[in-house]
Amino acid sequence: MALQTAEIKPSVPASPLSGFWKTFSRNRIAVVGLGMLIAILLVAIFAPLLAPYDPGASLDVKISDIYNPPSAAHWFGTDDAGRDILSSFLFGARVSLIVGFFAAFISVFIGGLIGVVAGFYGGQTENLLMRFTDTMLVIPDLPLIVVIVALTKPRLLNIIFVIGIFGWTTTARIVRSQTLAVKSRKFVLRARAIGAGNRHIILNHILPLVMPLLVVNAILVISLAILNESTLSFLGLGDPTAISWGQMLNFAFGRGAMSAGAWWALVTPGVGIVWVVLSLTLLGQGLEQVLNPRLESHHLMPGRPSVQSDAVVESATTKKKSKRRQDAPLLLDVRNLSVNYVSAESVAKAVYNVSLQLHEGELIGLVGESGCGKTTLMLALMRLLPAAGQIANGHIYFQGKDITQLNEEELEKVRWSGISIIFQGAMNALNPVRTVGDQIKEAIVKHMPSYPPGTLDERVIELLELVGITKEYKDQYPHQYSGGMRQRAMIAMALSCDPEVIIADEPTTALDVMIQAQILELLDDLRKKLGLAIIFVTHDLGVVAEMCDSVLVMYGGVTAEYADVDTIYNAARHPYTQELLKSFPDLSQPEKRLVSIPGYPPKLDELPAGCRFAPRCPLAMERCATEIPKLHELEDGYHLASCHLVEGG
Amino acid sequence: MNRWRYLRNKAGWSLFTIIFVVVLNFFLFRVLSGDPARSYHDPRLSPESNKAILVRFGLDKPVINCIKTINPLRFGACNVNPLNTQFFIYVKNLFQGDLGISFYYNRSVSDILKERLWNTILLIGGGQIFSILIGVLLGIFAAWKARTIIDYGALITGLMAWSLPTFWLGIILLFWGSNHGFPIGGKATPGMSSYPFFTQVGDLLWHLLLPTLTYTIIFMGEYMLIMRSSLLDVLAEDYILTAKAKGLSTFQILKDHALKNGMLPLVTIIAINLGYTVAGVIQIESVFSWPGLGGALFEAVGRRDFPMLQGGFLLIAFSVIIANFIADLTYSYLDPRVRTE
Repeated sequence: MALQTAEIKPSVPASPLSGFWKTFSRNRIAVVGLGMLIAILLVAIFAPLLAPYDPGASLDVKISDIYNPPSAAHWFGTDDAGRDILSSFLFGARVSLIVGFFAAFISVFIGGLIGVVAGFYGGQTENLLMRFTDTMLVIPDLPLIVVIVALTKPRLLNIIFVIGIFGWTTTARIVRSQTLAVKSRKFVLRARAIGAGNRHIILNHILPLVMPLLVVNAILVISLAILNESTLSFLGLGDPTAISWGQMLNFAFGRGAMSAGAWWALVTPGVGIVWVVLSLTLLGQGLEQVLNPRLESHHLMPGRPSVQSDAVVESATTKKKSKRRQDAPLLLDVRNLSVNYVSAESVAKAVYNVSLQLHEGELIGLVGESGCGKTTLMLALMRLLPAAGQIANGHIYFQGKDITQLNEEELEKVRWSGISIIFQGAMNALNPVRTVGDQIKEAIVKHMPSYPPGTLDERVIELLELVGITKEYKDQYPHQYSGGMRQRAMIAMALSCDPEVIIADEPTTALDVMIQAQILELLDDLRKKLGLAIIFVTHDLGVVAEMCDSVLVMYGGVTAEYADVDTIYNAARHPYTQELLKSFPDLSQPEKRLVSIPGYPPKLDELPAGCRFAPRCPLAMERCATEIPKLHELEDGYHLASCHLVEGG
Repeated sequence: MNRWRYLRNKAGWSLFTIIFVVVLNFFLFRVLSGDPARSYHDPRLSPESNKAILVRFGLDKPVINCIKTINPLRFGACNVNPLNTQFFIYVKNLFQGDLGISFYYNRSVSDILKERLWNTILLIGGGQIFSILIGVLLGIFAAWKARTIIDYGALITGLMAWSLPTFWLGIILLFWGSNHGFPIGGKATPGMSSYPFFTQVGDLLWHLLLPTLTYTIIFMGEYMLIMRSSLLDVLAEDYILTAKAKGLSTFQILKDHALKNGMLPLVTIIAINLGYTVAGVIQIESVFSWPGLGGALFEAVGRRDFPMLQGGFLLIAFSVIIANFIADLTYSYLDPRVRTE
């Protein structure tokens, strides 16, 4: 289901790198991380200048020098040998960072190589390499590193090498999947088609695209290497000639800092490790957010409260559009509804001043191109708008209540038992880890608490059979259903609590033509059998002609035309409706030429000043560019159209 | 049934990994220490006793049967009965649960490790339960309240916890605890064995408190971060909107629709991270002198007790591989797409 949040994304930056820096500098986590990292790198580089004492110098240790608390002479106190902790700390930064960076370099090199080779060559090579990677992933690396360093000499080079050699598994996995994703892109295939060698393709086409992910991963690997080094040193396996933070802790812990109460000897080196690892973690986390931005919102975030705008809006007539259902009572009355998507940068008017009336047994077709506000309008009717969406004006009257004014608890009652919805693309609309029957049952339990529990299963089977699904499928999972079955199961679910109104939001997109016909027939049957009122959202005008009573055509978030179905087909007045009709095949006029409408619907945050359709309208006049057309009443209000051309009837 | 094929694959792979570790362990201690016999040579024993140990573990025999490429390294002689090589004896001993004799304790390594395994399980068990419980709950809460101050607070806390070196957190807690009446390490107060059973259990839990707290803080952060990010993805899914449209309450949606899906990645991560868990346990046990497997490994490093080091590594690796397999079982149970596809 495509929510219209994509339309309020900021425009594309001028160049990729400047764009990257722009988003990067806006990401507070990444900037703090980078700042912290640069600070500690400077400390490590300028350690000889900054350190007040030479930590390597041998000195005559007097008892009075040992474990001195912080003072003016020794800012961070002294250690078990009377050395200045600040100086050791500054030089220790060098050791920790050197081990971290070089070990990570080895890891990333090995992992990158294995990942690219496995992903690029595939087949048996990939199988073998990934099996090996999985095996290494399971073997606990720290004990192995401890054992190997214990068996060899604890020299800095050994430590770097051993940590590096066992830290590549995650890199290999990430790089492999990225290579797989990149490999089948067009320009790689093209490069191969013109005869470029494997080496050339890997170096010039694949590596640049794998690089960003590799950098993020490398940052994580560095932090793990630094943690591993400090752990090794703490366990007494550090290089005695290069004192790292881990070793400072090993000395302090092993040589009585605890009993001497010398907290400064225990805290200082630890803060160093935390500082470096935290800076890398923040930088990595931030970079990932920058390179791989996730959705800004989810469905449980609280919605914005409905408001009523003071701007005067013309009120629409509530005359019954459908000629077939002249005496049916009014069920759902939408008045002057406006919906905005609000973000920090902009307000997008997704739906503006739309009114519609749905009567018992009526089927309204809601027609328009993608992105014209249809789905937004439907979500607003059930107050299911995403967090950025806000009802900016208007009322939705249903069963004597205004839905725009209900609180969460009252909404829960109206949803499904009053108005239910069939979403497009039922693959994702059903929970993959619960059986279909269970998901139907859940709704009944919620809305009909008095329903006898013993007959619940029968009811579910009955519902499934109503949509043509046999009862064996009740306890199966969505992935065991075919696409058409899932859509029918969704319909069964929508019927489960005897709703008055069903919203069908493009229920047949992504299905093949035969199944589409089945589903539509089913919906129409059910409407006649159960007396449902349906709002049918579609861009298929053929379907509309066959089934609907009345039609509401939307363009760019506003009502273009609203009338009885026959009126729309035979006497459409809005140029947009006329153009839409020209673009659909008509079996009764096989010679008719199909014409598509040039151009695209307007961006909702950059609306034209006048009529929203004017830029694409073949009949546009001068005033259309500046003046917003009113919704004119034709045929005594039974036919509405918003166009300057119909002014005065 | 495809589920069985999935499990058979996983089981076969675990077995392969175990064999790999067994072989790796054998060569590690024979290649890296230079002279294969050196790792078993205890300078504190008389030459006769050392000779007896060498004979007992077959170290006087060729390493493996002659392989041309290895032979130049003086690894084995040709024309030797393969049943009379070090490798065969090592594997045979392993099958009998014989991991050699500890230099330091002069006792069977497998006996010592068996005692210590339970202490480690006690520590990991409690720590895992608490960290998963707290981490998952915080993660759910942060994801639910996404983009609020609660979410940012949880995120920063999680990243901080993830950046703490385990041993350092242990040291700080131990330092604080020793000034506030907590035990300075070990498993029991000396002389405890003469007290009634329940007093002993209380004493054990008292000693377990700070190590478990360290474990919980370290792993809680990571579980929270994973749960948060996986739940953020799940809550943006279409089926959550369906659940909301069905009129379910926020609590019902979280409990019945989001949690199971959100937990799936966590199960995988818990499995993959078992290696890190072990690393954490080694550090915690070292700091708190907790008599577990990790502590045994730490002490063995300091004492150059090679049989203990070798046995400890093997047992830890085995445990992680088996636990990984169990996690795969759990995953296949939780996700119907694996169960039935």
